[in-house]
Order: sequence, then C-alpha cells, then structure tokens
Amino acid sequence: MAGLVTGTLVVLARDVKKWVGRRGVFIVSIITPLIWIAFFGKSMNIRGLIASSVPQNLPPSLAKQIEEFYNEALKRAFGTSDYFTFFTAGMLAVFSVFQSMFSGVSVIFDKRLGYMDRLLVTPTPRPAIFLGKVGATLFRVSILEALLLATGVALGMKLKPGLSIIDLIAAWLVVMLLALGLSSFYTTLSFYAENQEVVFAVGNLVNLPLMFTSSAIFPVSKMPHWLQLIAKVNPVTYASDLVRYHLVGYTLDSYALELGVLLAVSLALFIAGLWLSVRWMTSR
Amino acid sequence: MDCAVEARNLVKIYPGGVKAVDGVSFCIRPGEIFSLLGPNGAGKTTTVRMLSTLAKPTSGDALIMGHSVVREPDRVRELIGVVPQDLTSDDEMTGWDNVYYQARLHGLSGREAEEATRRALEFMDLLDVAHRKVSTYSGGMRRRLEIAMSLVHEPRILYLDEPTLGLDVQSRRHLWGLIRALKKRGKTILLTTHYMEEAEELSDRVAIIDRGKIIAEGTPEELKARLGGERIHLIVGDPRGAEELASQLSSKGWRARAVDGEVIVTVENAARALPMLAQFLEKAREVKIVKPNLEEVFLELTGRRLREEEPIDSFRYRIMTRRLRR
Repeated sequence: MAGLVTGTLVVLARDVKKWVGRRGVFIVSIITPLIWIAFFGKSMNIRGLIASSVPQNLPPSLAKQIEEFYNEALKRAFGTSDYFTFFTAGMLAVFSVFQSMFSGVSVIFDKRLGYMDRLLVTPTPRPAIFLGKVGATLFRVSILEALLLATGVALGMKLKPGLSIIDLIAAWLVVMLLALGLSSFYTTLSFYAENQEVVFAVGNLVNLPLMFTSSAIFPVSKMPHWLQLIAKVNPVTYASDLVRYHLVGYTLDSYALELGVLLAVSLALFIAGLWLSVRWMTSR
Repeated sequence: MDCAVEARNLVKIYPGGVKAVDGVSFCIRPGEIFSLLGPNGAGKTTTVRMLSTLAKPTSGDALIMGHSVVREPDRVRELIGVVPQDLTSDDEMTGWDNVYYQARLHGLSGREAEEATRRALEFMDLLDVAHRKVSTYSGGMRRRLEIAMSLVHEPRILYLDEPTLGLDVQSRRHLWGLIRALKKRGKTILLTTHYMEEAEELSDRVAIIDRGKIIAEGTPEELKARLGGERIHLIVGDPRGAEELASQLSSKGWRARAVDGEVIVTVENAARALPMLAQFLEKAREVKIVKPNLEEVFLELTGRRLREEEPIDSFRYRIMTRRLRR
C-alpha cells in the first residue's frame, strides 16, 4: 500500500516537473484556456446579435419591452440571460476533455523512448504507473481550470449570488471526475496504441463530437430529438450542467441523477482503464 | 547457490509465431562478466527482457539469486539493474533529476535517494555535470547516465544491453574502464553486444547466440582455441569462384571453406603457410591474415558475419543517433 502511494506520487511528480520545466509547453497550455474563453465566448455573442437587429427609433417603453422579451427568451433557452456565462461554464467541462488527451501522449512517448521499460523494471506497483499518469493529468487540469474560471470571471462571467467555497469545490470535483474518466480512457488507449497518431486520431474522432453533442455550448432542450438522445448519454452534458448548477445557479431536474450518471461513466472508464493498463504491463 | 543468474531453457514466441528465443540456458557466476555475443536480432535483447521481468517467457524460467522471474518478479526487480539499449534519460531534466526519480521508484526515501544519486553520479564521473540539462550532454555522458540510473539502488546484478552502441572509440574505452570498475566492486554483469572487441575485452565468459539459440560458450580463449589456428582469407569476389577454390584447396589437404565470396583457410601459422599457398593467390583479389578472434569464431560456427543488417525500430534509432551526435 505504501509502495502504491509513493509510486503514484513519484510518477506524478516527474510528469508535473517535466510539464513545468518545459517552459514553452507550459506557457502555451496556460494561454490556451484564456484564448478559448476570450475568443470563442466573446465572438458567439448571441444577445448582441439580436439586440443589433432592433430598430433604433422605437419609443423607450416599447424598446424596454422588447429587451425584456429577449432576456426572457435567452433565460428560457440557456438558463441565464447571458450566453457568455453559459458558454464559460460549459467550457470548464470541455477543457478537461481536451486536456485529458495529453495524458495519452505522455504514455506514448515514454513507451517509444524506452522510459516505460525503465519504470517497469523497478518494483513500483503496476497500478501506481497508471494512477501516476492519470493523477498528473488531473493536477494539470486543476491548475488550468482555475485559470480558465478566473479569466471567465474577469471577462464578465456572472457567478451566482451567494456562491460559497463549497460550490467551488463541488464544481472542481465535477470537472475532476470528467477528467478522471477521459484521461483513464486516453491513458489506456496509449498503452495499447503503437504511436501518437492513433491517440490524435481518436482524439479528433471523440473530442469534438463530445463537445457538440453535449449541453456545453448549446442547451439540450433546443436540440433535435435524435441529438437529445445522444446528449443524454454524453458525460460532458452532465458535467456542464453540474458546473452550471454550482457556479451559475442553474436549476436541475434531478441533481442526484445527473451526478449519478457522471459518476457511473467516469468510474467505469477508470476501473476498466486501470485493469486493462495493468494487464498490458504484465502480459508482454 | 552457484549461479547469480541462471537461465533455464528460456523460450519466447511472440504473437504471430516469431520465435525470438529458442531454449536458452546458461549460468552466470557471482562476480563475473558474462557476455551474450551475437548479431542484431539473434535474441539477445529478448533474453535480457525476460531476465528483467519485462517479457514473460513462453516457457522456461530464470532464477536471479535463486528467485524466479516468473513467480517473484518484484523480488527480482530489487536485485537487478537494467541498462537498456535505448537512451531513456529525459532531455529536459537534469542528470541529477533523472537518477533521483529512478531512486525514488526503487522505494528509496527522499534523503536516501539524494545520497544514492550522488554516489551513482560520482561513480560514473558525472557529478560535475549533474545539474546540467541532459540535452547538453555528449553521447558518452548520456550512456554513463543510463548506467548511473540503473546503479542507483545498488543492485548486485547489472544487465548492460549494447552499452557502447554508437559511441566513438574514446568514449567506448572510458565506459569499458567503468564496467571493469563495477566488476571490481563485486557486481555480476551480463553484457550483450554485437561488437566482438567488446566481448573479448571485458568478458570472463562468452556465450555466442544466433537465431535464438546459444551455439557456443566458454572463455574468449577457449572459443578462439576452437578455430585451431590462424586464418587466411582469400577474397575472391564471386561465390562460385570461391567454392571452386575451396574445393581445390581441400583436395590438396588444406582446411578451407567458402563463405560468401571468400575462401577461409585455417593454418597453424599464417606467415609460414602463405608461401605454400602462392599458386592459389592469383585467384584472389585480396589476401588477409586474421589472428583468432570471436568474429572468426562466429563465422566458423554460422557461416555468416556478426554485423548483418536487421530491421530496427527506426523512430527509436533516429532519436538515439540524434541524441548521440552531440
């Protein structure tokens, strides 16, 4: 047990040290969330789009009515009258999907450069190697998500009134849960894959659909029926909803159900990933 | 216990049916340097991978200080240090960090690991560059760092897989000196190499491996004595001509055989035999006198040379040569 904990921490610490030490990569990965929020979020300014189509010379009372109508419509669609807030909360979930892919790339390079064998000839418990790799991803995601949230708030994301530290921790846990499932998936894929192209190809196949078929950038209730079915089995939907619940004050039909689905999907990916990765290490 | 490492009929068949190792047995005595000499693809690396617990034997077993690689892999991992063929150190970290993390992975506590890292780097002559990034190291320094990484937990047994691959002569000699020093400190060493000079220079005993099988074993002197004398190579060029010349010589009582375009004549003393061969020399483009060496032993046993082109993982190879070029 002691070996498992120490082993995990050493594998994790080395990966984090490499990330921080590689200054270029470190800076780019920190800038990325800022760019996402600033460019995507602000360019998809739905409210501004509608407001500009309202004629200028209306009487003030009518203009006010129209504005209220728009606000109500937006609120009904997005759960908030402000698309940027909706979008930023969704991006907190999506970002952990994209970052998770990189835990796979790290495993691929360790394998191809022979470092994986170096790990495997030490008495480090095999599960610790998997846990350390996944843990390093969770650590990176934690830091980048904090930056993402801070940027969002600085650019006008409206957090719910009376936001508590519990809400922040809960939102962080939700994002971690999603990252746990996906980085388990990518780490396992990378143990079995021959080269990094496989990981990128699967990433392209999986990541964008996961984003577009979830509630991250568009509300599920406004999707065509068939798409709603997909969105309802997509863990990114639940992660986005739960983050919005805690940070923005979204109302959910059933908190327990949403958390339950996310938990089930992520833990299933984690347990399957752990088992398959250890199997790869011990059966060559 | 008379063997530090004992391979017992090791077999490795990879998925798809490639038989990489085909019944290899040997015994490495404590404190000796034992070499596996053979061409690329002969099964050396697969054998080392099985002895290091990285690959499971399809059948057979190996005992490391009496512990089975199949049944007690964790016990074995504490006893051995493995220096792989690849350069596995991380470019972007310092030499110190590379060794330190390896020490921690072997379960040493922070304080112990620091002390062990210092000792390993000092022993491999790397202490003064310890805090430089590995990307600034020369090829020889990188190879020495690989050994330091494998020594840090003070293993009793060390496996060196092609430790001087791609190094210049000077770095190679430096490394040979350090390997001898390790032996003096009581380490048991398994060396794999396809450089016959290296095997001759360092080994107490050599096993010649080809196509997954050990085809000869003994001290370098014993193996060379098998040749039964010095050798004269008559390089003819075309295989047919060589065959004809060989049979002509054989019929006159010479010990001659043809090997791809060359006729190899074994004699007690080449200088004295040469004038007697004068009438045949005109058929050869070139004549070489070769003192007995392990390359000749391999040629005698297999009819092929040690250095043959074999497929390799080109990505790993490119990375390695790029790193060594500095």
